[in-house]
Amino acid sequence: MLHIDGSQGEGGGQILRTALSMSMITGTEVKLENIRAGRQKPGLMRQHLACVNAAKAICNAQVSGAKAGSTSVMFKPGAIQAGDYEFSVGTAGSTMLIFQTVLPALIQTDSISRLSFHGGTHNMLAPSYDFVAEAMLAVLKPMGIQVEMKLKRHGFYPQGGGQWSALIHPAKNIKRLKLIDAGDLIKQQAVITSSNLPEHIALREINEIKQCIDWSDKEIQNQLVRSMGSGNIVSLRLYYQNCTEVIECVGKIGVSAERVARSSITDLKRYRSSKAVIGEHLADQLMLPMAIGKGGVFRTLKPSQHSWTNREVIHQFIDKRFKFEKLGKDYWEIRL
Amino acid sequence: MKTVAISLLGTTLDQRGKRKKRWEKWRPTISLCQQEDLLIDRLELLFQPQYQRIADVVTEDIRQISPETEVCQHHIEFDDPWDFESVYSQLHDFSRRYQFDRDKENYLIHITTGTHVAQICLYLLTEANYLPGQLIQTSPSNSINNQLGTYQIIDLDLSKYDQIASRFSREHDEGTSYLKGGINTNNKQFNKVIAQLEKVSINSSDPILLTGPTGAGKSQLAKRIYQLKQHRGQIQGKLVEVNCATLRGDNAMSALFGHKKGAFTGASTQRAGLLLEADNGILFLDEIGELGTDEQAMLLRAIEDKNFMPFGSDSSVSSNFQLIAGTNRNLFKDSINGKFREDLLARINLWTYRLPALKERMEDMEVNLDFELERFTQKAGALVSFNKNSRSQYLKFAHSPEAIWKANFRDLNASVTRMATLADGGRITQNVVKDEIERLKNDWSFSTQDKNPINITAHYLNDDIHVSLDLFEHIHLAGVIQVCRHAKSMAEAGRTLFNQSREQKKSQNDSHRLKQYLGKYHLEFNKIRDR
Repeated sequence: MLHIDGSQGEGGGQILRTALSMSMITGTEVKLENIRAGRQKPGLMRQHLACVNAAKAICNAQVSGAKAGSTSVMFKPGAIQAGDYEFSVGTAGSTMLIFQTVLPALIQTDSISRLSFHGGTHNMLAPSYDFVAEAMLAVLKPMGIQVEMKLKRHGFYPQGGGQWSALIHPAKNIKRLKLIDAGDLIKQQAVITSSNLPEHIALREINEIKQCIDWSDKEIQNQLVRSMGSGNIVSLRLYYQNCTEVIECVGKIGVSAERVARSSITDLKRYRSSKAVIGEHLADQLMLPMAIGKGGVFRTLKPSQHSWTNREVIHQFIDKRFKFEKLGKDYWEIRL
Repeated sequence: MKTVAISLLGTTLDQRGKRKKRWEKWRPTISLCQQEDLLIDRLELLFQPQYQRIADVVTEDIRQISPETEVCQHHIEFDDPWDFESVYSQLHDFSRRYQFDRDKENYLIHITTGTHVAQICLYLLTEANYLPGQLIQTSPSNSINNQLGTYQIIDLDLSKYDQIASRFSREHDEGTSYLKGGINTNNKQFNKVIAQLEKVSINSSDPILLTGPTGAGKSQLAKRIYQLKQHRGQIQGKLVEVNCATLRGDNAMSALFGHKKGAFTGASTQRAGLLLEADNGILFLDEIGELGTDEQAMLLRAIEDKNFMPFGSDSSVSSNFQLIAGTNRNLFKDSINGKFREDLLARINLWTYRLPALKERMEDMEVNLDFELERFTQKAGALVSFNKNSRSQYLKFAHSPEAIWKANFRDLNASVTRMATLADGGRITQNVVKDEIERLKNDWSFSTQDKNPINITAHYLNDDIHVSLDLFEHIHLAGVIQVCRHAKSMAEAGRTLFNQSREQKKSQNDSHRLKQYLGKYHLEFNKIRDR
């Protein structure tokens, strides 16, 4: 049995999710300890618990310690089963993180899986639905990983209640990833999404974007969506020949519309000022598919704590270890 | 384990905010299901039927925000949600009806919603274990951008809280120390008895039965229990103490239960009786085994119904007292041969504590000695103490097998009183101790408890002779010594001892014969008497 210290590095839910995915794929029994030990509320929160339960469901695992607040989980995976699954998480916990946990495992099967999700879709501290659908899938596709996603309803923090579905094709032969150069910019698009909020919020955000970066009216889309509670997100998308980058900031009570817009623009400028292809948040997500596939190489911004931690956790399951190499200012290469 | 929450629908708080606006408001029952570190597997939602609409909105909202949670609706009819009786009985009914499965489910009782009366009722039902769970309260959080609020689980097991637990154990220590009269006893058995008795005294008003040899401190302890309860404000009435051995015949009935004027010859005035006197207090019946069977029957009824009939009266009176009974007899034996009513014994044999004899609590000898000295000092108003050697001399004897402490603490108390009285200038000298030891030895040598003839003869014979005798002779001699001790003269002793020969005129001079017999052992009648 593999012991994994949940308090290492970034010390959060990422360790749990990576460990669960790797455990399922390699068939390794794991014991996770000190889960989220340094956090204000240590142990499994409901969204983490939902990940454990989802992993358990798709591979018929034997699990102990799966309850809210638990700081130790034993996970003994069985055979991964493709099929139709429904995953729910309350408290607007991110369903994207559940998807992230089960995706690498489900592509290792022989048939299609249909997943439906219920919970949060556009959360602050997790990739949003749009980020996964646009940025992540765009990179996974050339690797041979094919997923079709469909959003029925947005789920914002704190109510959640979002609904979406994913169709996952099996991909047993994952191709080597190679992203050295983004290629030409094909399109840029800002999408301002709001639900149950006064109109001026989106308008002020648009105004701010226009002032800071000179995108045309055509490149700015203002959309109103249906959701349980209220919600707002600014999403800046850059479509290149070889990849797509999605930079987002979620609006929240107490933060002005202008600040929300400016925050996403700051991140956009950082990305554009570097020669990196892959943004900070996508980098750590690509490591797992590379590890279970044929490896690869990509150039990215300065690796986050998430990436460093992911590197160590993955290394506990496989012999190889990712190489992080600094090429320039805020410009790194990650290779396996 | 599943987590199940039981919550009243908050007809005000859970209804805040119209339509979509409701999501901007903190709604306690929703918030309960929305905590990221608390997963409610099932919510039992209680509400009055007229609030069905609100309940449906809340149920649907919970289904959306917490898909893991199953919501079960329960109708509950309060005539008036501010009426304590109605609310309590309805919630009590719910708790009796509900199938709790404590092996598989943990229960949280949400006390944030409902009227204050309902919250009090939920608390009471939880505390009484009708709702076997922990209380949970939700509250809005301070920051404006968080309508989720926070929650707190309140465990009513107070021992789980460090600060309260230490406060508790302090009070508990105070309580036990109270019962021990401030004496820091070391005897395990005794301390165990006291520790439990402290809890029982505080939590129960059922009868307590104190057994143990005479002088073990039964009546002292009864007094302490009374004081402890009084100190904690649990009783208002008096402590009424009576030794049942002093109650006989008509007097017994009237003393206990009272009588009407003219109930019997000599009943010239009305008498209330001890039971009534002990109303709202404690009745301590010492030597309860000495109570007559009629009185036992009356007493049983008085305990069970809090009701009894005064002697000669045709209407009953009521008295609410706690009974503490004391006995040095084996009441079970007595109940088998009909001396003590079995039903009464069953009723009072609920909290039975046996107080160990002083001899069984030798580790407490020293602290008790100090306690007795202190007590004398307080009474006499002058300090009395041992010198070092006299103290160790006395303690050595006190621990020796010779010291049988026949009347337990009464012996110790008497012994200390004697020594302290004879102590010149407040110092108990070795001479005083030596005399006292002799005295105690002498007292106990005739105790009915020490029937070993070898021990009896040991007091009178010199050692050479004592060790040379057969048991046969010890038995003879011990018997003769006993008779001599109780006889007024040698002649009387002789008459008692040689009663048969005397009838048959075989012996003329009984005194002479006795003198000769004692002479064989170098003993003299007068010296036996004087020892």
